[in-house]
Parts: sequence; C-alpha cells; structure tokens
Amino acid sequence: MSIEDIRVLTGQLAADPSSLVFLPLGEALRRRGQLEAAEKIAIAGLTRYPDLADAHDLLARVLGDQGDLERAFDEWDIALRLDGRHAGAHKGIGFLYYVAGDLPKALEHLESALTADPGDEGLAAAVARVREALASPGTAQRPSSPAVDGPADTAPGPSSLAEVGPTVFDGLEGAQDGLLLLDAEGLRLGGGLSAPDGTPVGDSVAAHLAGVFRDAERAARLLSLGPWSSVAAETADANLFLCAPTQESLLLLVRDNSVPIGRLSLQAERASEAARRWLERAT
Amino acid sequence: MRTDILSSLESITRVRGVRGAMIVSAEEGLVIAESSMEGIDGAAVAALTAGVVARLARATEAAGRTAPAFVHLRAHGGGLMAVPGQGDLMVVAVTDPEVNVGLVRLELRRAAEHIA
Amino acid sequence: MRVIEPWVAEPLQRFLAESSARVVLLTTASGQVVAQHGFTRALDVMSASALGAAIMASTEELGRLTASGASRSLSHQGPSRGLFLAGFDLPQGRWIGLVVYDRDSSLGLVRLFFDRLVKELRVVAPTETPAREVLAADFENELNASLRSLFGR
Repeated sequence: MSIEDIRVLTGQLAADPSSLVFLPLGEALRRRGQLEAAEKIAIAGLTRYPDLADAHDLLARVLGDQGDLERAFDEWDIALRLDGRHAGAHKGIGFLYYVAGDLPKALEHLESALTADPGDEGLAAAVARVREALASPGTAQRPSSPAVDGPADTAPGPSSLAEVGPTVFDGLEGAQDGLLLLDAEGLRLGGGLSAPDGTPVGDSVAAHLAGVFRDAERAARLLSLGPWSSVAAETADANLFLCAPTQESLLLLVRDNSVPIGRLSLQAERASEAARRWLERAT
Repeated sequence: MRTDILSSLESITRVRGVRGAMIVSAEEGLVIAESSMEGIDGAAVAALTAGVVARLARATEAAGRTAPAFVHLRAHGGGLMAVPGQGDLMVVAVTDPEVNVGLVRLELRRAAEHIA
Repeated sequence: MRVIEPWVAEPLQRFLAESSARVVLLTTASGQVVAQHGFTRALDVMSASALGAAIMASTEELGRLTASGASRSLSHQGPSRGLFLAGFDLPQGRWIGLVVYDRDSSLGLVRLFFDRLVKELRVVAPTETPAREVLAADFENELNASLRSLFGR
C-alpha cells in the first residue's frame, strides 16, 4: 500500500472516527514498519469497537512485530473469545505455540485457521510442515527457522462472514436498509443498515449487537425471566427492534420513530420467518 | 432519599404487572433507590439492565443514532424496561409478561423527569 | 488465564466470561499469587499483588480503628477503567481478588459476578488443606515460584 493510500485512509478516519477504516490503515502502517503509529490506530479502534475480533487481531499483529509476544497472545486470545473461528487469531496463536516449541497446540490452532481460511496456501504449507515435524520422533521441537508465516504476514480476516447481500429479506420493506441479520458472533449474514447520512454501518452495528445478544440472554437467565424474546429501543430519531430468529442468529429492524414499536414487532416477525427460511436453505 | 423520587417509584409499582422499580446508576450499574422488589435481586437487576442499556447505546451510536430513550427487554417469564434520565441515572422496572407497556413507559418517563 | 490451584480455574473462567473483566488477580492475604488473567508482565503481578494485599490490610485495620467494621470491598473508577478489590474467606484462609474492568463491564456487574465467584470457590475449595502461616523467609521464593508457574518461565 502506497503512502498516498495511507493518506487517503487517514483522511477517511479523520472524517469519520467511527469508521472501520482503522483496520486497513493500522495494517498498512504495520507493514511499513510504523509500529508505534499502527499501535495507536489499533488501540483507538479498540476503544470504539472493543468487541471486534479483527481489531484485537490487528493489535496482536502489531504487538507481535514489536516483540511483545505475551500481549500479542492475550489479544489473540480475546479475539478467539469473541470469534472462535477467527483465522488470523488462530494463525497468530499457532505461530506463538510453534515458536514456544509446543507443536501439538500449534497444529491445533493452525488447522483451525486453515478450516476458517482454506484458501491460504502459506497456512496449508505450515500445517503440513508441523504435521511432518510431529510425525518424526527425534526431530527438533523448536526448529531454528519458523516454518510458519508469522504475525507479520497475517492478513486481516474478512470483516463479514458472507457478503450475501439483501437477498435474505427480498420482498420485505427495508430489505436493503433497515434490516440486518447477523450471527451470534456479530458477523453480518445479510441485509444492510445505513446511518442517517447514508454511511453503511451494518458491519459495525452487527459487531456491537453480538454483545447486546449476550447481555440480553445473560440478564434474562440470571433474573429468571425465562428465554428472552426481543429487545425494543426508542431513540430520538429511530425505533429499533431486536429478536433472535434462531438460537444462533440475531435480527435487527430499524425504522424512523414514526413507526410504533408494536408495528416493528409485526415486521420483525415476518423478517424472522424469512431469515429462518434463508438460514435453512443456506445450511 | 427524596420523597418525590420514592413516590415516583411507587407510581410505577402500582401499575398492574410491575414487580418492582428502581433508580440505577447507569455507568456503575448500582442501585440508588428501589421500591417493591420482593423476591428480586435488586443488585442483579441494576447491574444487568445497565449492561444491556450501555451495550445498546454503543450499537445505536455505531448506527449514527442517538442513545436509547426507552429500552424494553421482553422475555417469556417477564421483562425489563428502562428509561435513562439526565446525567448518570436511569429508572428501571421489572415486569410480568402481561403488563401494559405503554403505561409503564409513561410512569418511567415521569420518574425520569423527577430525578433529572 | 493462568492458575496455581486447579480448582480455581473453572469458577474463574466463568467469572471472566460473565463479568467481561479485563484483568483478574487472586492472591492470598499475604500477597501470594493464586491465579491471574490479563497481566502481561511478571513484574506487574508482583507489584499488584503486594499493593492489593497492603491496601486490604490497611483498610481493614482502619475499619477496626474507627469501629466502622471490616471493609468488604473497595473500588476506584478511572477515566476508562475501573478497579475492584475485595477480600474473602476460604478454608485456605483469607484471599484477595483484584479486578480491572472497562466499559464492557461495570462495577455492578463485577460485584455481582465476584460474589458468585466467591460462593463457587467456597463450594469447590478443598477443605483438607490446612491454612498455613507464610514465613517471611519463604515468601519471596514462593512468590517467584508462583510467578514462574503463572508465566510459564
């Protein structure tokens, strides 16, 4: 990425500090060796998106480059707690175990990374080499040159599991803007959402909603209220309705505040039905 | 505790289906005042409701919207409703599943105005 | 998360998952480390355990002196992170918990789940281990051994 690209990304981030552009910007700075700047960008992003696994992955890669492997491990550990299938985090932790000479654990994480990102050829080669090393008794548990591409080459993971577009809600009002389907880990599965100024915010809202999902479930469980069914919220300019079409998915409906919550509930019911059909077809 | 605040909470708990009402410090998730919370762990209600509301506020902020002025978590066995007041305080009600949501919301808003 | 006493692991893991705390340190009242999560340097653990033990000891003494009773817990709210410190009793003796949380959690949530953690620890704590007094001479060796174990060095 050129300096000009970095300037553009920096400008975008300055114009919209809530933008997810900090991820490619931080990564670009890291690759250029501007680690201090990359760390600042990653930490600022994490302050805004503490539940975003990609942000923890970015910080971990920067820390890895800085040689702070313990903190890098902790950041990847957090990324995996947020998203158990995060390829970058599995790859990073796999690398650290490899460096530490714990080949079985390294293999476990590298295989998980490969499952999440089967197209990564470097990863496939690394898995093969670690398997070979494990199969050969007497070979060094701590090879002199790491076989695995380390954190420096870890590419950022996709911000969304599937850019499946609006097809899930086809035929429904707000199919492309105002209806969002996400999985329990905060990854957008379908639909879309824009801020009042037209900026797409689906992915970042999805990342936050995973936390709402967990908090709502926790509150209902610990207060013995039984399984939760919905969360409705009114803001000064919009009404929101959240529900879970299935145990592993969450649906958000946003309308301006002229649409009463009761009507939102009916619309959410129809959207949930569409989501369930779509999810059944997808699996 | 100011008597008008307590009487606001009592107005909420007088609504049929409301099990209890409380004023919560939104940031810390701690109970400031409560009314008729029999059989309900007030500290847990405060902490957990504040958690949901804070998290939802971050989601609405990410969506370019203002912070929620009313939140209703509905569950099969009951519900939680919250109306943030000015500053750090928030009024919360714990309800049965069958409750007049509009009426509770109205009383929560009145109470929120009193604590402003 | 790293633990010295294996029976602490499960309740502590649950506490971390439910409370969303960022840093947790469990020590004995004399500052010996039992478990930690989120610390990146052994030096930080050493300082935090010593400071936590000292704060709890002085606060409890102050409570006795002023007849205001023993302090159960203390909290401090910084601009972005909060700190919660509490003492509790187990068959092993008095322990101290130090928890650091950020905006993902709150004092209320940390208190709520910390109380549950203590209840769970009381259930799973082995009762046959007698509490033993730590001699000053052993303290540093034990602390260093704990840190080696917690940081795998």
